[in-house]
Amino acid sequence: MRRGTFVRWGVPIAAAAVIGGAIGAGPVIAAVSGEPVLPERSAQQLLADAVAANSKDGGLPPMSGTVQQTASLGLPALPQAGEASPLSLLSGSHEVKVWYGAADKLRVAMPTQLNETNLIVNGGQAWYWDSSTNTATKLTIKAGARKEHELPTPRPTDLTPQQVAERLLANVDQHTAVRVINTAEVAGRPVYQLVLAPKAEGSLVQEIRIALDGETYVPLQVQVYAKGSAEPAFQVGFTQVTFTPPAAENFTFTPPAGAKVEEQTIGADFAENEEQRAEHAKDVAGQAKVVGEGWAAVAVVPFSLENLKTEAPAGQERGADPGALVDSVLKSATPVSGTWGSGKLIRTKLVTALLTDDGRLLVGAVTPEEITKAAGVK
Amino acid sequence: MSTAEKADTRAATGDPEAGTDAARRTPGLVPVAETMRTTERHPPEPSGAVPAGAGRPWAFWRLLGSELGLTFRRPRNLVMLAVLGAVPVIIGIALRVVASDGQMGGMIQDVAGNSLMLTFVSFSFLVLLLMPVAVSVVAGDSIAGEAGAGTLRYLLAAPAGRTRLLLVKYLNAVVFAYAVTAVVALSALLTGLILFPAGPVTLLSGTTVSVADGLLRILITVGYVGAAMAALAAIALALSTFTEVSIGAIAATLVLVIVCQVLRAIPELGSITPYLLPTRFTNFDAVLRSPIDTGALREGLLAFGAYIVLFGSIAWARFSGKDITS
Amino acid sequence: MTAVMQEAGAPFGAALPSGGPAIVTEGLTKRFRGGQVAVDALDLTVPRGSVFGFLGPNGSGKTTTIRMLLGLVAPTSGEYSVLGLPQAQALPRVGALVEGPAFYPYLSGTANLARFDAADPTAARGTAGRRIAEALERVGLSAAAGKRYRNYSLGMRQRLAIAAALLGPRELLILDEPTNGLDPQGTREVRALVKEIAADGTTVFVSSHLLAEVEQMCTHAAIMRAGRLVAQGTIASLSAGLVARVRVETPDAADAARVLGTLGLADVRPGDGDVTAELGGHAPERINAALVGEGVAVRGLAVVRPSLEDVFVGLTGEGFDVDG
Repeated sequence: MRRGTFVRWGVPIAAAAVIGGAIGAGPVIAAVSGEPVLPERSAQQLLADAVAANSKDGGLPPMSGTVQQTASLGLPALPQAGEASPLSLLSGSHEVKVWYGAADKLRVAMPTQLNETNLIVNGGQAWYWDSSTNTATKLTIKAGARKEHELPTPRPTDLTPQQVAERLLANVDQHTAVRVINTAEVAGRPVYQLVLAPKAEGSLVQEIRIALDGETYVPLQVQVYAKGSAEPAFQVGFTQVTFTPPAAENFTFTPPAGAKVEEQTIGADFAENEEQRAEHAKDVAGQAKVVGEGWAAVAVVPFSLENLKTEAPAGQERGADPGALVDSVLKSATPVSGTWGSGKLIRTKLVTALLTDDGRLLVGAVTPEEITKAAGVK
Repeated sequence: MSTAEKADTRAATGDPEAGTDAARRTPGLVPVAETMRTTERHPPEPSGAVPAGAGRPWAFWRLLGSELGLTFRRPRNLVMLAVLGAVPVIIGIALRVVASDGQMGGMIQDVAGNSLMLTFVSFSFLVLLLMPVAVSVVAGDSIAGEAGAGTLRYLLAAPAGRTRLLLVKYLNAVVFAYAVTAVVALSALLTGLILFPAGPVTLLSGTTVSVADGLLRILITVGYVGAAMAALAAIALALSTFTEVSIGAIAATLVLVIVCQVLRAIPELGSITPYLLPTRFTNFDAVLRSPIDTGALREGLLAFGAYIVLFGSIAWARFSGKDITS
Repeated sequence: MTAVMQEAGAPFGAALPSGGPAIVTEGLTKRFRGGQVAVDALDLTVPRGSVFGFLGPNGSGKTTTIRMLLGLVAPTSGEYSVLGLPQAQALPRVGALVEGPAFYPYLSGTANLARFDAADPTAARGTAGRRIAEALERVGLSAAAGKRYRNYSLGMRQRLAIAAALLGPRELLILDEPTNGLDPQGTREVRALVKEIAADGTTVFVSSHLLAEVEQMCTHAAIMRAGRLVAQGTIASLSAGLVARVRVETPDAADAARVLGTLGLADVRPGDGDVTAELGGHAPERINAALVGEGVAVRGLAVVRPSLEDVFVGLTGEGFDVDG
């Protein structure tokens, strides 16, 4: 071979190596080095610290960043769903930008190709802006509506952080192995990863990792790992984050000239809807039961296909026709039968669903064996 | 051991092989070997690189000027620039007609409301295929075209120097890429100003900025899209060093672009799309957000830089060692 | 062929510009991908100031050798030196015509030359116009300088290529088949030009598959066959191994043979209407006088010196592709 040939081709090879290294540097370095970057903490200490940190000023510190959500649930190919459709979140990768100033100052932007939707909350006023329709919607949130929907989490004022942590872990310990990793990094920041691994054999979930910022204890990432898969099946978290107060103009919105302006009060509508839904839910809940417990729990709900097709939320203008979606999902279902009867089984990485011919829907984060076992429990 | 040393050793030791060599070389003829030992010899330098300082300081720019003169005088290239300049005019007129019907939404609405938006709409169309075509033609032709015509051997014998010629060819393609981008931007800007009202610009985020700010954002877009085309030019240049048929290099580059566009449309392959070059082409819409999404722009530019370094080095590795037999 | 050869100019090594040979190669070998050996262990020495004929049939490796000398093709093994300088410094002093002209068809003659001048990092832009005009003048293309290359005739194209080789002050001119495709008039012009250039002290390395051309133009020659160097040296030395013969045209072939024999000429070969013999150290006029004195009817008497073709046939045992 000619003199220097290897030397010459070494240049592009080295370039490729450097570029590949730069792309994969983050995870590779994190995985290779493995050195503790944060002081070690037990799960209890970590939770206590987190609760303490977040209850200081009554909430999260001001921050802004990019949140990426990635799902590879192993779903059958979905019919073309619009970018803004919630269904599109079930597959692929999505990004939103978040600016958080205070509890009542928030901007969430979802940038898409030459379009952008924005939700801007400032005090009691909120705007929803959709550039594709050139529409600005003024959302007025009814004062009452907010309180009702506050989550029934333990109030930080009720308990000391240590107690909160103890309680949470006490409930969790029965079915879950909990550990803490202190060597991980999210969005370039060292984080504690709280790892929850189901003890149940039949669970499809390998573990759930919740990353808490090492400094502010803000949750930065949630990952759900399915059994037998090295990549998370579902992941949502920051790819970039800064803990500085965002510029004030992020939280002000004036509808641009020429835009359609609509007004909507969500509180009332929402509450009304919610009542209906709640009623319906109660109905279903009456008929529903849970087989198994903890991670291996399987929900059993009376169900028929017709039911689903007619009940699918109307008024979903964008995205796929729900009927078509159901059809396409069912097409990939495998017919199964056993002593419990027969039905159609739908498998994904995290969730298994069984639709029995006698009109029951069984759903759980468990293996097909577990779900058919549950189907036998009448 | 260098040849000079080898020759010395031979002379000193009376290497028998030298004698047989001479005998074989000149059967029954006057031996000419006497000159062989006294001549200073240098190892061949197939790379033909002109060492720094060997030429006049502005010689590089003279060659680049000559290259640019060829590119911008060539009728084919001028036609491509004219076609690309005409597209925004056509888009503008079409949008004007549609806009007067009243039914509109999204970008059409934006353009109808503001003259500057036509530039971004034009880029979003042209950056997908037409601009890559123009850039691929010039960059893909750069080495292969000269090789096919035979002029490459005279350029290298001049001696242009392989690394120097490759650099000149690439810079020429980059200038052309920016010329293409600037022509589109200027044509769209003029068309927009004639057909649509000028005034404050509404961004995708719903924020309104001044005309001056809008023009600045167009300038950033030109810089970004030009860099995108420069990255594509690096691929075309690399392919150009592998063939003597310029249409082959041009077609291969365009096939790559189209394949990438197809791959992007497959949702299952979502994990690789961030690494495909065309994915980054349309990310100039980051300038239309408030605040400007500098992260997206920086990532895009880093990707372009990576493509330029990778394919530039491939082009160099190939071209500097290539046997020019055309 | 009975071309009488002029005694070649200066003897080897004398009266040449100092600084060693213009071209030296040692063991130069090119094996292309696929195993085909184009040039095989070539040891070539081209003295400065010579007009060096590089002779061989088509496909004997001449062009590959020239491409290696110009840095276009990397040798598989072996070494070479042009003007005793590193390649980047040598090439600006070398004018080259390789495998026919190649120019930009949509540019004029002047613009084409300006393009190649721009590629030479040592060429001064300020003097480019003058040098281009002079080069065009020298090859007689001044009138067609503004014409587009695509409208040039074959001869004009060839001359433009030579003009490109003459753009700067050159120490070495490498001309690959410079008369290819030229009409007899063009061929004569090129030969005259080569002589003129050589007279200025420039070394000219001219490859050809035409024996006659090399014999007429060159002081030195090398002969290639199937990638190998068969012979090299001055034209005179090349044919030195073969002796000159005297040829007598006569109806009395037997008598003539006898007379030549008595004169002491070796290898007397009587033929049908002529007799040939080795001339040796004899003076032709003495032979003529002796023949006439013996009453042999001499119709003609000529001294036949060996041609390059004879050298070639003698060396290779093969004929030479003269038509090309």
